[in-house]
Amino acid sequence: MRSRVIELVVNDEPQEFLAPPGTTLLIALRESLGLTAVKRGCAQGTCGACTCLLDGEAVMSCLVPVETVDGAEVHTLEGMAGPDGELDELQAAFLEGFATQCGFCTSGMIMAARVLLAEQPDPSREDVVRAISGNVCRCTGYESIINAILDAAERRRATGAISYTEKGA
Amino acid sequence: MLPTVEIPESLGEAVGTLGDGDLVLAGGTELVPRVTTRATGVSRLVSLRRAGLAGIEVNGGRAVVGAATTLAQLGRDERLAVLRPVVESIASPTIRNLATVGGNLFVRQPYGDLAVALLALDAEVSVEGSGGNASRPIAGVLEDGVAPRELVSRVAFDVPDPGAWFYTKAMRRRQNSASIVTVAAAVLVEDGRVASARIALGGAGARPVRAVSAEAALTGNPLDRRHVEEAADAAVEDASPFDDAYASAWYRRRVLPVHVRRALLRESDRPEGSR
Amino acid sequence: MALQTEQIDRSYFTTERGEDDHAVIGTPVQRADALGHVTGGTEFFEDVNPTGLLHLKMHRSERHHALLKRVDVTKALEVPGVVRVLTHEDVPANWYTILRLIGVEPNDEPVLPEDRVLYKGEQIVAVIATSEAAALDGAAAVEVEYEDLPAVFDVEEALAEGTPAIKPHGTNYFLYEGHHCRRIRFGDVDAAFEEADHVFEWRYQSSPIEHAPTEPTGCIVVPQADGRLRIHSDTQACFFTLDNAALILETPFSKLRLIGGTVGGGFGGKVDVIVEPIACIAAMATGKPVKYVYGRAEEMQVSSPRAAERVIIKDGVMADGTIVARKVTLYVDAGAYSRHSPYGTTKAAAHMPGPYTIPNVWVDAHCVYTNRTPASAMRGFGVTIADFALESQMDRIARALDMDPLQLRLKNAYRDGDMKAHRKVAEGTALIEVIQRGAQLVGHELPGEYRGLSSTDPREA
Repeated sequence: MRSRVIELVVNDEPQEFLAPPGTTLLIALRESLGLTAVKRGCAQGTCGACTCLLDGEAVMSCLVPVETVDGAEVHTLEGMAGPDGELDELQAAFLEGFATQCGFCTSGMIMAARVLLAEQPDPSREDVVRAISGNVCRCTGYESIINAILDAAERRRATGAISYTEKGA
Repeated sequence: MLPTVEIPESLGEAVGTLGDGDLVLAGGTELVPRVTTRATGVSRLVSLRRAGLAGIEVNGGRAVVGAATTLAQLGRDERLAVLRPVVESIASPTIRNLATVGGNLFVRQPYGDLAVALLALDAEVSVEGSGGNASRPIAGVLEDGVAPRELVSRVAFDVPDPGAWFYTKAMRRRQNSASIVTVAAAVLVEDGRVASARIALGGAGARPVRAVSAEAALTGNPLDRRHVEEAADAAVEDASPFDDAYASAWYRRRVLPVHVRRALLRESDRPEGSR
Repeated sequence: MALQTEQIDRSYFTTERGEDDHAVIGTPVQRADALGHVTGGTEFFEDVNPTGLLHLKMHRSERHHALLKRVDVTKALEVPGVVRVLTHEDVPANWYTILRLIGVEPNDEPVLPEDRVLYKGEQIVAVIATSEAAALDGAAAVEVEYEDLPAVFDVEEALAEGTPAIKPHGTNYFLYEGHHCRRIRFGDVDAAFEEADHVFEWRYQSSPIEHAPTEPTGCIVVPQADGRLRIHSDTQACFFTLDNAALILETPFSKLRLIGGTVGGGFGGKVDVIVEPIACIAAMATGKPVKYVYGRAEEMQVSSPRAAERVIIKDGVMADGTIVARKVTLYVDAGAYSRHSPYGTTKAAAHMPGPYTIPNVWVDAHCVYTNRTPASAMRGFGVTIADFALESQMDRIARALDMDPLQLRLKNAYRDGDMKAHRKVAEGTALIEVIQRGAQLVGHELPGEYRGLSSTDPREA
């Protein structure tokens, strides 16, 4: 069986690559496109380190055969900072709130939070906990992460920033 | 080798392309980890992502849900809000955005909480094969699965009245955890007495099971504490739980009546919204 | 919301404090790698993707304790994509002994087993292939015939008379300079038990604990044009890896270049040198870059956990709560191989009897081998579980004497100048002040005599 040509729009840029049969979205992003922010922690959908946005929804990329999502829109952590490297409110809040230690879960956490804030600009603590319930952190004990996400929401509300992910139809 | 993936664009094409030894790929939350982390010998997957099997219709109180509808889609549908607690008790948002209604019928216990709920709802399952389609009661599909080269296309059930629907799932954590025991019940009360009761259990055996002893104990009686406790105790007879990493069979047997009682008396172990 | 930092309380130990010129301590300092973490730029070992990368997967033991009667790799070599298979014959110096370079012996863990396996999941044959899936298929195709040997899973059973030794050196315990355990002998516990008003003896047991880092253990080894090997590893211990890999490969240290220091969660679980040596051999054998990374199931079952421990503490206590004797029998379940457990057990012995001054102390700390997954370091290993046992014991004594548990501890707390059981003089102690401050913070009343205690006041004779 031969590789397929896959087209994805990744971080708003069209990309095209060859995928051998059975390649997951996680491996395609990391190895075909060099976008290594999505991490491989378990390949079982239990750790969430591979979380990215697929047509605006947070999914575990280790569970998605990339051939089945040809043509989709994907967003990863690499696309979040501004053109001059300005950090997104979530990135800044994680940085300033010491919400990252080893860093391995950070990409997945930020992507899960990104979707939450796009849907709920003023989330409760419980909303945050539910949003990251698929993301494991072994270092921080989660409190600093939850606080950073709430902090980011507050910063966005203060500046009136427009969320730029929209849920797919 | 990793399996090849076929992506049919209609139900007919999906049925036509299914060969012996092929596995049906819906959300992939159980199947993809299996084939990417182990040598399984599976050579071909047939994906349902583009086969037009996602969608929800509700007419006259009867819901028809496409098998490839994701749990997240189900949870967002206002017409099916009564099932939201079931959906939100399953895994995490990142799993629910992929996992499907149809897929939940085939995952092994103690996963498959939606299947438990659908069993309590006495759902009908549309099964497609090369010979056409047939409607089967869900109990049979949960027990026996489907034949090779058959696939589930739709699930249909009467949407319960919120007052007649009961659900609880006991977990080791508040979020994202498989079941210790799951209790789903559709109980109709008329003139102060239980006219019909369908109680389904998860974490109580290799497959979701109807707690027929509990149903018999309830039917014809008021839905009050005394009769609920009798029914809860009777439910243990219908269960044959197993040991796993989440709980032992002993523990499941021990707490099953507690959770049946809590479900039917709507006693939550934690007030809504608290930490 | 700004991060709140507590200021250092400078009211303690003022005479020892001296010039207080802390420029960094007490201020929030950003991690050097945090910016990389939040932008996705931090490079973990698996983020390196060299061209032509080969994948190594292991065929692992299905038995707890068995002789290897036959190992057949024929079918593995026939799997499309498999390029090479490695057994113990391919390993130049087939022993992994973590502290070899400082003379810790004996060699007890093979890199790849020669004639037997000692735990379920032990690596036996390495299969290298052009894709991860082919490597998994190849590893599954290796055929092994076992002859089961009696397996032991309990530390006291392992030490019992009549239990066969599972280790080549002939005992189920690590030998400390010819002794069967680490020993502390301080004063005369038996005489003190006779004089004590109460004798209490309780038993404690912990389970093995898995670190479960979000990033699994692994490395990528890349042959360089200058003949050296470049190793990208998530080890916590770069120099352990460098040194031990060189010993196993029988190459000069200068041949290896280790790129590390970025660890996706270690907690002590990434301080052994298990994946790098065989990946280096694979890279040398093929001339290609090779990745050896654990899957999640391997990370959970095969990678070393914190050792399970069994601790029996017998205390002689006076009516007023003074502990006059403490006898500790401690067993560390090292599992099948030594790794860091002999060192951890030494730490456990030295830690006794806890931060208390007790005139008579007797400790036997055993490092015991069983057919379980080999244990190793984790978060204060040797001390952490001992503290669980010691402090549980203190609470139970307090309950038995109907005494405030904080007062019991203050009464027995060590101070500067006290002789510790392993014959070092205590200095810089602060248990008394910590308990006093903690009590104050939670509103736990302490009587004046306890509020007035100090670590720097010598104990009355």
